[in-house]
Amino acid sequence: MVWRKLKLMFKAFGILALLGSAAAQEGTTFYGGYPYPVPPDGHFNTFATNAINFYSFYSDLLEPPLGVYKWAEGEYEGMLAESFGFDDDNNYVVTLKEGITWSDGTPLSSADVVTTFNVNYLLNSPIWEGLQRVEAVDERTVRFVFDEPSFAAERQVMVEPIRANSVYGDFGERAATLISEGVTDEDEAFTTLLTELTEFRPETYVTSGPYTLTRENVSDARALLTKNEGGFNSDVVRFDNVVLWNGETETVTPLVTAGELWYGTYGFPPATEEAFVAQGIDIVRGPLYSGPALYFNHTVAPLDRPEVRRALAHAIDRDENGFVSLGDSGVAVEYMSGMSDLVAENNVDEAVLDELDEYDYDPELAAQMLTEIGFTKGDDGVWVDDTGKRMAFTLIFPSDYSDWAAAAENVTQALNEFGFDITARGVLSQQQQQDVYDGNFEMAIRNWGAASPLPYVSYLEPYRRYNGEGQFAGEGTGGGMGFDTNVTYSGGEVDLLELTLASSRGLDEARQREQAGQLAQSFNELLPIIPLWERYGNNPLNREFVDAPPSDDPIYQNGTAVPDPFMTYLLLTGGVGPAAQ
Amino acid sequence: MQTSKTLTGPPPLESGWLSRVVSSYAVRTLLQALLTIWAVVTFTFFLIRLMPGNPIDVYVGFLMNQSNLTYGEALQQAASQFSFDPNASVFQQYLGYLGDLVRGDLGTSITSTGTQVVDQIARFLPWTLFCVGLGLLISFVLGMTIGMLIAYYRNSVLDTAVSFFASVLGAVPDYIWGLLILVVFGVQLGWFNIGELRGTYDPGLTPGFTPAFIWSVVRHAFLPVLVYVIGTLGSWILNMRSSTTSVLGEDYVNVARARGLTPGRIATTYVGRNAALPLFTLLAVNIGLVIGGSVIIEELFVYKGIGSFLFFSISQRDYTSMQGVFLVIAVSVVVANILADLLYSSLDPRVRIEGER
Repeated sequence: MVWRKLKLMFKAFGILALLGSAAAQEGTTFYGGYPYPVPPDGHFNTFATNAINFYSFYSDLLEPPLGVYKWAEGEYEGMLAESFGFDDDNNYVVTLKEGITWSDGTPLSSADVVTTFNVNYLLNSPIWEGLQRVEAVDERTVRFVFDEPSFAAERQVMVEPIRANSVYGDFGERAATLISEGVTDEDEAFTTLLTELTEFRPETYVTSGPYTLTRENVSDARALLTKNEGGFNSDVVRFDNVVLWNGETETVTPLVTAGELWYGTYGFPPATEEAFVAQGIDIVRGPLYSGPALYFNHTVAPLDRPEVRRALAHAIDRDENGFVSLGDSGVAVEYMSGMSDLVAENNVDEAVLDELDEYDYDPELAAQMLTEIGFTKGDDGVWVDDTGKRMAFTLIFPSDYSDWAAAAENVTQALNEFGFDITARGVLSQQQQQDVYDGNFEMAIRNWGAASPLPYVSYLEPYRRYNGEGQFAGEGTGGGMGFDTNVTYSGGEVDLLELTLASSRGLDEARQREQAGQLAQSFNELLPIIPLWERYGNNPLNREFVDAPPSDDPIYQNGTAVPDPFMTYLLLTGGVGPAAQ
Repeated sequence: MQTSKTLTGPPPLESGWLSRVVSSYAVRTLLQALLTIWAVVTFTFFLIRLMPGNPIDVYVGFLMNQSNLTYGEALQQAASQFSFDPNASVFQQYLGYLGDLVRGDLGTSITSTGTQVVDQIARFLPWTLFCVGLGLLISFVLGMTIGMLIAYYRNSVLDTAVSFFASVLGAVPDYIWGLLILVVFGVQLGWFNIGELRGTYDPGLTPGFTPAFIWSVVRHAFLPVLVYVIGTLGSWILNMRSSTTSVLGEDYVNVARARGLTPGRIATTYVGRNAALPLFTLLAVNIGLVIGGSVIIEELFVYKGIGSFLFFSISQRDYTSMQGVFLVIAVSVVVANILADLLYSSLDPRVRIEGER
C-alpha cells in the first residue's frame, strides 16, 4: 500500500516534471558530459580561466584548431587548415580552408589566426619562446616566423584553438604592438593589457566549429551546443546538437546508467565500470600516455645506485600493480623507456627497443642482483646494504588519488615481501607533490610519461620538474629527487637534461630519433624512476544510442583528453552518429 | 530551573551613559557578535592558506592535463593569469583583507579574474537559502508534530514503530538518501527523469516572477528538499518526543489537567510550548549550518547553491571566494544564535533579558 502510494507520488512528480520542463531540442542530439563553471564564474572568454568551453575534451567542437594529430598514423590532419608545413625558409605556413564562417557571420580568415597567436603572447604561451612574429600573407594564408623551427613549435601552432578576430581583434592588435616594441611581462603596459584581457567577458560565444553555444543554452545542469550552419564541417557532423551534462564523476554516474549520458570522459571506479558493462554499455580504453611511477630520492643511499633500483624493478609485479589499481585500465609498462610504450614505438628504432630490459617480475633475480653488490639479509629478513644500512624507507603517496594509493600499497607489499621494510604514508596530493619538489621524501609515487607525441616531454618530468624545477612553484626549497643528470651508461657520458632539450630542437627527424633512442636506452639502464603502469581511459560508450567505430579502431589511440581527443575528432568528422534504433 | 540571573552576565557598570551603553544587552550582543566574526575570519584566513597548494599550483596541474603543456610552460602561463603572488607576506595579505572587509569589500575572485566575490555569493546563496531553508522548515514542523504525537502515545505500537523509523532516518547520512532516491527511483525504476531535474531551474527560462519559472524552481528543488527533510526528520522527531515526554511529567501539566483545561489547550500552551524550547536552540544552530552543510547534496543534484560554490572554490584554491563563503557562514551562525536567544526569551516568560525588564 505504502509502496503503491510512493510510486504514485513519484510518477505524478515525474509527469509534472516533464510537463514543466523546457521543450526538447529538435533533431539528433549527442549526450556527453564535462564539469564547467556557471556564471558569474563561467564565461565566454576562452583566453581566461573558467571559460565555458569544456577545454580539450570538447572545445574543438566550438573553436577547432588548425589540425588534429592522429596518433596511430603519426601525422596531422587539417581541421581549419587546408595545408600546413615548414617552407624552405623554415617558416611554418598555414593555408585556411575556404567557406568557413564564424557564428556571427564573419568569414574565417588569416586575421583570426594572427589575433589568436598575438593574444597568446600576453599569456606567456610557450610558443612565443621561439616565435618572432605571426603574419598574414593573404586572406587565407598565415606565416609563423621562428628563431628556431621545431616539431614542438609545429604542435603548438596546430593544436591551438583559433579564436574570432571579431571578438578579440582589439587585444590582438594591441598585443602585436607590444610584440613589435619588445615589451615583456615585466612592463606595466603588458600587465595592464593582460589584466584587461583576463577580465574581458564577451556577451556571445563566436565559434567557427560546427556547433555554437549561447548564454541561454548554458544552465546549471547542462550546456546545449546547437548547429553553427556555416561552421567547419557543419555539413558533415551527424548530430544536430550536443548536450554536455555538468558535473563530476559521482554526479554523472546515474546519468550513464539511466541512458541519459552516452559517452563519458570521466575516470570511473572499476566497480562502477563493471556495473556499466553488466548493463551492456561498452568501455572504450584510450591511452593517457602516462601513469604512476616509483620515484626515489637520489640523495638517500643506496637508492642512488642503479643496481638497487634495477633490482627493485624486478621485485614488483607491474601487471598485478596495474590491475589492482585500475582494473583493465592499468596496463603494465613494457619497454621501461621513460616514455609511453606507444610513443616509444613511434619514435625509437626497433633495434633499440629490442635491447631494452623489460624488467620481468623475478624476485629471485632481484635478490641475486642485490647479493652481487654486497647486500645481505639480516636476522629479521630485511636486506642490509654493504655499509650495514638496513633497507627501511618511507614511501609517500597521494592519499586522495585512489588508483595511485592502490599502486603504492601494492608496491609496499611487494617490496616488503622481497625483504625491504617500507612504510607507506598517504599525504594529500598537493602536499605530497610539494614534498617531492622539496626533496622531502625517500620514495614517492608521482606521475611519469606525458600525452605528447614528442618524446622529450616525457623526460622533463623526472629530469627537470621533479628534479629541482618544482622550487619555482613558490613554496618549495627545490632539490626534488636530487638526480644528477650527468650520467654514464652503455652509450657513454651524457647530460640527460641537455640531451632531452636538444631532442626538442630542429627539424632533423633522423637525429631526433637517434636522441630518443639514447634517452630510452639510458633511462632503461639507469632507471632513475620505475614506471609502474600506463593509465588507459575507461570511457563508457553506449552503443545503443551512438554509432561509433569498434573499440579496436586506431583512432582510439588519440586518447581522451590531450589536445587531440578521439571523440571530438569523431564528432567533427562524422565518425559517430545516432545509432539505428 | 533557569532564572533571569543566569542569562544576564556581569553586573552593570557603576554609572554614566557610557556604562549604560556598554552594559546594554544590544551593544554587548553586537560586540560579542563582531568579536566572534573577527575570530572566525582570522582563523579561516590563515587556515585556508595552510592548505597544501595554491591557485597557481592547481592551475598548473590543470594546464598540464588539459593543454598538454610541460610543467615549466604551465607554470609560466599560470603565473601570468592570476593577480596572486604566492610569495607575498601572509600577514600583509591579512591586513589588506581586513581593511577591505571593514570597507565592505569582499574582494575579487582569484581564479575568475575580475569577478566580485559579493556577486558570486549573491548568485549562489539564494538557492541554498531557499532549498535547504525550506527543507529545514518542513522537517522541523513535521518532526515537532510527529514527535509530540508519539510522546502522547508513548510505549504504544505507534510510538515503537515511529521511533524505530526515526532512528533509521537519523542514522543514515542525507547524501545516502539522495543517492538512493536517484539510483532506485530515478535509474532502476525509472519513475522520473533524473536529467530533467538537475540544476536549479529549466534551461532556457528567464528568471522572474512568472508561473513557468516559479514552477520550474519548485520542481527542481523538490528532490533536494525531500532529501534534506528525510535526512533531518528523524532527529527532530526523537528530540521532540524526548522533550515532550519530559514535560508531560511536570507538575504544572498535572495542575493544568486538575484545573480542567481542555487537552488541546494543555497540549499547545503547556506541553508543546515548553517541549519546543530546547528544539529552538537546535533550530538556530541548524539555520546557521544550513549554508555550509549543503555541499554534498548540492553536488549530487547539480544544484548550484553556496555549498556547491564552496566546493568549486576549494578545488581551485580560490582564497578570496572561500573567505567570502566562510564569512557568510560565520555571520549566519552568529545571527541565528542571536535570533534564537530572542526567540527563546519570547517563548519562555521565565527567561527575560535584562534590557527588557
